Amino acid sequence: MEKIKNLLKRLCEIPSVCGREGMGKAMLFDLAGQYFDNMYSDSFGNLVLVKKSSKQNAPRLQIDAHFDEVGMMVCEICDGGFLGVRAIGGLDMRVLCATEVTIYGKEKIYGVVTSVPPHISGGKGDVPKIQDIYIDTGLDKETLEGLVRAGDIVEFKDGMCELLNNRVVSKSLDDKACACAVIDMASRADRDKLEYDLYITISAQEESGKNGAKLIAYDIQPDIAVVTDVNFAVGEEIDETESIAVGEGAGIDISALTDVKLTRSIMKMLDSKGIKYQRVCEPSRTSTNSDGVSVAGKGVRTVLMSIPLKSMHTPSELVCLDDIKSMSDILLEIAYTKKEAL
Amino acid sequence: MKELLKELCLAFGPSGYEDSVKAIIKARLEKVATSACEIIEDNLGGIYFHIPKNGAPRLMINAHMDEIALMVTGATDNGELRFERVGGIDPLVLSSKRVISENGIRGVISSKPIHLLDKEERSKKPTVDKMQIDIGASSKKEVLDACPIGTYFAFDSDFVKMGKKIKAKALDDRHGCAEMLSAIEALAKNGFKVKYDLFFAFTTREEVSYSGANCATEIIRPDYAVVIESKAVLDLPGVGSDKSVATLGDGALISYADRGAIMNRALTDSLIDTCEKNGIKYQINRAVSGGNDSATIQRGALGTRVALVSAPSRYIHSSSSVVDMDDLMAIRDLIFNFVKE
Amino acid sequence: MIELLKKLMLTHGVSGREDKICELIRKEVEPYCDEVTVDAVGNLIAHKKGNGKKIMLGAHMDEIGYFATHIEKNGNIRLHSIGGINYTSSAFGAVVSENGVYGVLVPNAGADSPKEENVYIDIGAKTEKQARAKVKIGDAFVSAPSIRRLSGNRYIGRPFDDRVGCLVLIEALKAVGNTDNDLYFVFTTQEEVGSRGARPATYGIAPEIAIAIDVTRADEKGTQHKLNIDLGKGPTIKIKDGSVICSSELLGEMREIADANGVKYQDEMLSDGGTDTSVMQIAGKGCKAGAISIPCGYIHTCNEMIDLNDVRGAIRLATLICERI
Repeated sequence: MEKIKNLLKRLCEIPSVCGREGMGKAMLFDLAGQYFDNMYSDSFGNLVLVKKSSKQNAPRLQIDAHFDEVGMMVCEICDGGFLGVRAIGGLDMRVLCATEVTIYGKEKIYGVVTSVPPHISGGKGDVPKIQDIYIDTGLDKETLEGLVRAGDIVEFKDGMCELLNNRVVSKSLDDKACACAVIDMASRADRDKLEYDLYITISAQEESGKNGAKLIAYDIQPDIAVVTDVNFAVGEEIDETESIAVGEGAGIDISALTDVKLTRSIMKMLDSKGIKYQRVCEPSRTSTNSDGVSVAGKGVRTVLMSIPLKSMHTPSELVCLDDIKSMSDILLEIAYTKKEAL
Repeated sequence: MKELLKELCLAFGPSGYEDSVKAIIKARLEKVATSACEIIEDNLGGIYFHIPKNGAPRLMINAHMDEIALMVTGATDNGELRFERVGGIDPLVLSSKRVISENGIRGVISSKPIHLLDKEERSKKPTVDKMQIDIGASSKKEVLDACPIGTYFAFDSDFVKMGKKIKAKALDDRHGCAEMLSAIEALAKNGFKVKYDLFFAFTTREEVSYSGANCATEIIRPDYAVVIESKAVLDLPGVGSDKSVATLGDGALISYADRGAIMNRALTDSLIDTCEKNGIKYQINRAVSGGNDSATIQRGALGTRVALVSAPSRYIHSSSSVVDMDDLMAIRDLIFNFVKE
Repeated sequence: MIELLKKLMLTHGVSGREDKICELIRKEVEPYCDEVTVDAVGNLIAHKKGNGKKIMLGAHMDEIGYFATHIEKNGNIRLHSIGGINYTSSAFGAVVSENGVYGVLVPNAGADSPKEENVYIDIGAKTEKQARAKVKIGDAFVSAPSIRRLSGNRYIGRPFDDRVGCLVLIEALKAVGNTDNDLYFVFTTQEEVGSRGARPATYGIAPEIAIAIDVTRADEKGTQHKLNIDLGKGPTIKIKDGSVICSSELLGEMREIADANGVKYQDEMLSDGGTDTSVMQIAGKGCKAGAISIPCGYIHTCNEMIDLNDVRGAIRLATLICERI
């Protein structure tokens, strides 16, 4: 579990706000390179990590986890060292006030999101709109103009925090938790046992448009694809029909838009081996990359897996390391099972 | 002074639970105290440093040690903690923030993800009863065993340098404590030669009741009191100069009045005089806003002539308050020059 | 240049009915290209061959307008919007059909605010029969096109969106000098109804780089919008809008070329809206996509406003990119 935790921590430290995934490419390749035969990227910012089976002409298994995270982009530099910003992805405005951020200008700059204290607001007011908040850098405008320009990325400040029972809190666990499971699985995969050539896609822009994984699936044309993403965790006032429990293992989703038969035969295979997982129901659209991957090119047989995550799209997302391990284990089982047997 | 400020800000000291802050202060006071000085501890957790001077008017300089916090009120079946606020905190600065308990257990404030909210809920200010502290526990029993009802939580937030500015939790009012300590240390170097029968009072419970200051007033019975505080300002883009209250970096903020008290004019003017004479940067409050211990001290015991000196502060009562180091140095210089002989 | 812009503005071309504008542009560009083709969805593709990078520049030919859907007994013509119409601006204004039939767009008596459901076109016909003699169901109308010069470089009229982009593309195509790059100048169809033309065009060309040239909303006097985009301060280079986050590599290269050659430009960062850029980015295997925009006031009204300085800047920037990227 220590290995998974360290990998996860390093993945979360890689800057990768939606649309600017290229900033983290070198860091990811550096981190994961040792486990793969070949790594490349495409024009869209998708990263592909390839590990071949020792079998000749093995079928292609694409395993996708998205690289990008929600964040902000600088739109103007204001008097007093403040930055105006716009949202990238589905940013939760309720959590921004007083949140610490990193601005990726010519150098990394620390900042805090502005807020109005109750002394002045009287406790009144609604959730601010993105136009109402600024990033306070503490620097003067002239210094800032030399370091930052419109289009530069603002990201939640990193920093992982460990809670009880193998739970961890960090920014960007959506979807670095899955990226961690996928890379961990590939790192453990024995080439002699692999029934597939692994195409791990750490895809771009899931948080805005969900086009990255689809584009790269079109290019790879895999025989089977497993898309991994986080899902809502059981919590207060969250309906259990739309959530899965933290610490109870990875979820496998059944949806009309994934390959139901393939999904069920994977479940059967896991059941026969006594491997635990959670069943998740996403009747139609899954709102993950699997919607796009399954229709890429001539269509792809796609399975969707998920990790339960609390406080999605906040600087303090929470997952359980056991669930990451569970996903890694299940993925390995799939990769070791002949296509014909699924 | 920055290192001292850091140590004070990082200390855990919610209202009513200020002991670790007091311990830092006490150690510093004991280091500089001479036999002429007196260290007094009151029944509410406050600590005072007395530099006696027979026949001189009694002056109290006051800052509070406590910070806003959260307290556990119960738990959910899923193993998350319910909580209430200790002091005034806007729910908007709570969601997703990291917190730490009095016994060192880390947690995070969780709420329903944005995806599961309808449009109206997304723009409506969240309420504390819809938030929980998650410490990673998986059952009600586990979580309440670790953090029983009544457990304090404070923000878990670093001390960060932002150019000349500082970001930290609890700057309200640890900066006041730091400036007072730093002034005392400077006075120690000149042999505690002061104009007044001088008390530095580090008080408790300001964020919930001002009762620590009330206690100090009863004990000290000062003729004059200068309260060193944080003043919430809003010097942000697009905010008019009156609405912004004051400006970070423009110096010690002197107020003629706030919502709780009209300050003593003569005392306030003599503070300004001290600034003018010693080239200390200061500014006058552009709005009447906020309240603090000054009201209680003014009306306490036989009544006190009060004045208020504040550090203009952004985003106070959140995990990430911001002050300008220059303003803090100005306040320290003002205290020192005002009391020295 | 103004003469050409006038011709482009005054030629009919509602989304899906781009034949006339297509023909005009074809004649204009043919002498300067190696090959000019029109694809299945009507995109006009002008190719200047080269052995270098495959680069596509696109501007849409279509404009917003109305389709006649029903002719009433009294000769009134009911309509369906093509694209995002500002009916407040269109109401009581002249409209003209693709066959040159004029009319006026009138809100129903008592209607509070004009919208698709409560407006009709009056072509002066007294009966259904008279109307049918001039207009067939499915005929396309537009609010009457015009172009007028205000003071200095400012012009008003319609449809600057996106005939001014077409002008930029044509002028860049004419101006482009020595380069190895394999250049495709594409005049796309049906942008106003959701970029339906640009996708197949990009899929077919499969460029390495695609740049859309369109108008973008400028801050207008008396409105609350604070976009930090002004008329007359140069074309914009798009960073993002509601539908696309432009390639950061391409953005960097475009900025570099502009900076190195002293082309003044503005940053364009929008939270909503969209152009052909988004579909260009994800057609086929995808490509590096970006956009140059011409700031435009009062978009989709009968009097859009542009500044010729911005148009000149856009032409120069587009030309430089074709040559140097």
